[in-house]
Amino acid sequence: MNAPARADVTPPVSAATARAALERVAANLSLAVQGKERELRLAVTCVAAGGHLLLEDVPGVGKTTLVEALGRSFGLSLSRVQFTADLMPTDILGAQVFHAASATFSFRPGPIFRQLVLADELNRAPPRTQSALLEAMAQGQVSLDGTTHPLPRPFTVVATQNPVDFSGTYPLPDSQLDRFLMRLSLGHPAPEVEARLLTQQRDTASSVDVLEPVSTPEELTALRAQVAAQRLDTAVAEYVVRLAQATRAHGDIERGASTRAVLALGMAARAHALWDARDFVTPGDVRAVLGPCLAHRLLLRSGTQGAYTRDEALHLVEEVARKVPAPR
Amino acid sequence: MTRPLRLRLLLRDLSVAAAFASMAVSGQVPLWALGLVLLAVGVGLWGKRPFARYPRLTSALLVPVAGAIYLAVAAGQMDLVVAACSFAGLVAGQRVLSQSSPATDGQVLLAGLLMIAGGAALSGELLFAVCLLAFAVLACLSLGLAVVESSVPAGEPVPVRAVMRPLGRGTVVAMVGAMAFFVFIPRLNWNMGVRRASPGLGTATSGFSDTVRLGGSGTLKSNPRVVLRARLKPDPQSERLSSYWVGRTYDTFDGVEWTTLGAPSRRNRTRVTLRPGAEKQVYQRIELLPAYGSRTLIALETPAKLGNALAHTATGDRRTQLREQGGDELRFVDDGLGYSYEVYSVPPGTDTDPGKMNEQETDQLLALPETLDPRVEELARRVVGDEKDPLAAAQKLSAWLQREYQYTLELGGDVADPLRDFLFVRKAGHCEHFATALTVMLRTQGFESRLATGFFGGERVGDEYMVRAGDAHAWTHVLVPGRGFVTVDATPADFRTNQSSKVLETLVSLYESMEAMWRNAVVDYSFRDQMDFVRGLTRPPRDPSGKPMARSALPPFRAWVTAAAVGLALYGLVRVLSRRRARPTRQEATRFVDAVERLLARAGLPPREGETLEDVSARLSREAHPLAPLLATLTRRYLEARFGQRPLASGESARLLAELKQALDTSQRPTARAS
Repeated sequence: MNAPARADVTPPVSAATARAALERVAANLSLAVQGKERELRLAVTCVAAGGHLLLEDVPGVGKTTLVEALGRSFGLSLSRVQFTADLMPTDILGAQVFHAASATFSFRPGPIFRQLVLADELNRAPPRTQSALLEAMAQGQVSLDGTTHPLPRPFTVVATQNPVDFSGTYPLPDSQLDRFLMRLSLGHPAPEVEARLLTQQRDTASSVDVLEPVSTPEELTALRAQVAAQRLDTAVAEYVVRLAQATRAHGDIERGASTRAVLALGMAARAHALWDARDFVTPGDVRAVLGPCLAHRLLLRSGTQGAYTRDEALHLVEEVARKVPAPR
Repeated sequence: MTRPLRLRLLLRDLSVAAAFASMAVSGQVPLWALGLVLLAVGVGLWGKRPFARYPRLTSALLVPVAGAIYLAVAAGQMDLVVAACSFAGLVAGQRVLSQSSPATDGQVLLAGLLMIAGGAALSGELLFAVCLLAFAVLACLSLGLAVVESSVPAGEPVPVRAVMRPLGRGTVVAMVGAMAFFVFIPRLNWNMGVRRASPGLGTATSGFSDTVRLGGSGTLKSNPRVVLRARLKPDPQSERLSSYWVGRTYDTFDGVEWTTLGAPSRRNRTRVTLRPGAEKQVYQRIELLPAYGSRTLIALETPAKLGNALAHTATGDRRTQLREQGGDELRFVDDGLGYSYEVYSVPPGTDTDPGKMNEQETDQLLALPETLDPRVEELARRVVGDEKDPLAAAQKLSAWLQREYQYTLELGGDVADPLRDFLFVRKAGHCEHFATALTVMLRTQGFESRLATGFFGGERVGDEYMVRAGDAHAWTHVLVPGRGFVTVDATPADFRTNQSSKVLETLVSLYESMEAMWRNAVVDYSFRDQMDFVRGLTRPPRDPSGKPMARSALPPFRAWVTAAAVGLALYGLVRVLSRRRARPTRQEATRFVDAVERLLARAGLPPREGETLEDVSARLSREAHPLAPLLATLTRRYLEARFGQRPLASGESARLLAELKQALDTSQRPTARAS
């Protein structure tokens, strides 16, 4: 049996080609989710960087729409798992099934065996289920009863959680939050966008359903290879580390950015450089992805909860970015 | 709270040690303070801070100590400066043993500074300079590290390795700068009015006092410190002189102590003539060094004229006058660290007129102590026999003493009758015993004689002769009718000069030559020396007779050479510095971005706080500013050069900057016209 094509053997595309692909996808997404250009670009950046995305928002602002649109634009196989309190790990990963006729077991893959997995309301599932998903995300494979099943490539998980209603939920442990490359929140659309949505409601079909694929899974794999090949100058690397160190030293932050956070920041910045058709990273790229990459990984001293924590963390990251001088 | 940096504490404690050492080298700090501070610094260097838990209690302990020191000062047992220095040392020690905090560190360094000031007041010698330098370097490094440490966020490692190099370099530059400042900037001497510095290696001992007391300390003979340097004319050209350097004579002996009859003169003079000169005289230019520690002039026997004396003081050289004391002694009127003067001496062997002597004085040359043991006279008679010539009798006695008695520096301490002890009990002694025995025995036989003290010998160093403290000596003058006083030395010849070890002599010579350099080049370096230095560069050279060789108003050749050398050195320095700056291409990119931002700022488009060129360019694009496209190109090029490993080609940055300048000019022109 041939091994599936790996990201590292796929030849990278040029920075200009990559930029064109990203722009195409972002333009396609904006047909489904309107008025959120910055967030869409970041989401595409996250996917291109090969990271998993955490969407944190109140219901009804288009989280699911965004994920579906992403899957369609890249032509990815998609599955959606609604996380509930009774969801078991096997419900996601799959299970061995006994065939009475042949008296054998065979593996029935769960919904995670798709290229894009939407884990809706992740924090409603018990920790055991959460960690099964997160483990699979980290390792790119599922191990059951001594057998290893590789997940399809490219593989991306987008999880959502509601930052307001925490009752009866299992908040993700910090170490698991760390596995998401970025955390984004779409927020309510601008009034004029909401008005436009109203006027367009005559169309019966959902806007997502009419989206055409503008890219392919193979192209996404090639994009990821290019991201990995992006040049990161030592001065920029030192800048990234200085930023992380500054979060560690900050008086209002209990625990600062981890080494995984530093790596994530570098990867996201590499992907962000593609928007400018550059094959190298600038301090500007780092700052562009700083908030989405770092804010959810910090443990604050204040002990606030939910959306307030998010805002406060973002505020602190901005403060750190202002304090740490960029290399010139 | 994070733990303080170990290296910084180490440097801080070492700087305290250096500061304290700067006082301790004067030898005046009491032993208990020395011990306590050394203990504190040692424990501190070991990394232990036992007082950290009881800061208040241990600070409170300093109060009774301060009280005790105050009482000691009030009772006159302690010098105020010494007391203050000791207390500063104790405060520093207490702080060193306490928890490190910015306040503690400041107090430790402040105490160090006080100790340095105290050290300057207590001693002006080379070792002080070494300690001062050590303190300055260590304290600078410690302070620098403290600044770095405070700026590094808590919990982060301090980049010691990266910091120490520039810090060290900066300290060296500062030291060199300070030296240049010292040499070239006109200055006043601040030593005026300050406590007189004591000479090096502790209080000096030359063996000179108003009296000679038999049975005193014998360690003097092993002291290798140089007390005088002399230039002789005509130069005797020998490696070692066998000459007597006389300081003063004594005519009264009370059985234990020699003193001089006769009142000191009240007159102060700049030149003193003691006796008529001879045809040939030995000219001496003598420098009495600070180690000498006395004000008596020393000269080769038999001095005829002394004068032109200069006292070396902390504020420079000063002419000083001389006063005649009893016993042919001449003394400087003013106190000085050292002195220099000129002497003419009658060569040995020449008849000299002792000058006018009154009856009391001549009688005194025969006076004997009341408590003299009758056996002394008996003994003298037996040796002298019926010899009537004073000189022959003296030589007979001297030869007998040298044959029958041992030379020793081992003394048994004070005895009631040192002469009897020497002649009949121990049969051993040093030069004072031999000389006293000879003088007294001569007197018992009716020969007029007296004791002379000074130095014997002289070692050639370069074209000068050096006399050491260990060369201190005593001998006998016997009065020969028609010839005057003649020197007869009863001490065995081998033991007349100093008895110190050769190694010690070499070490002390080395130290003294360095200290002399330090004194000449630093302590006594005055505005006048600076002027001389500059004048020496510009004054036309003179031929040996002292006449200027050229009448040109232009500076002499060596001034041009010096100027050229300085210019070359400066040029080299600039070259080295500029090459270092021009090294990496990425820094050219940084210079480029600086220039772009300067141009933008001049055109009224300065970057906002924290904005990079990337941000400015993005902002202008959003605002659809007319300059945005050009700036985007520039920014892209800068980013490529700085972070994308595509360095700017030569001349590229200039071209891009010119484009920007032009664009800025054209975009500004309409506004200018409008206003």
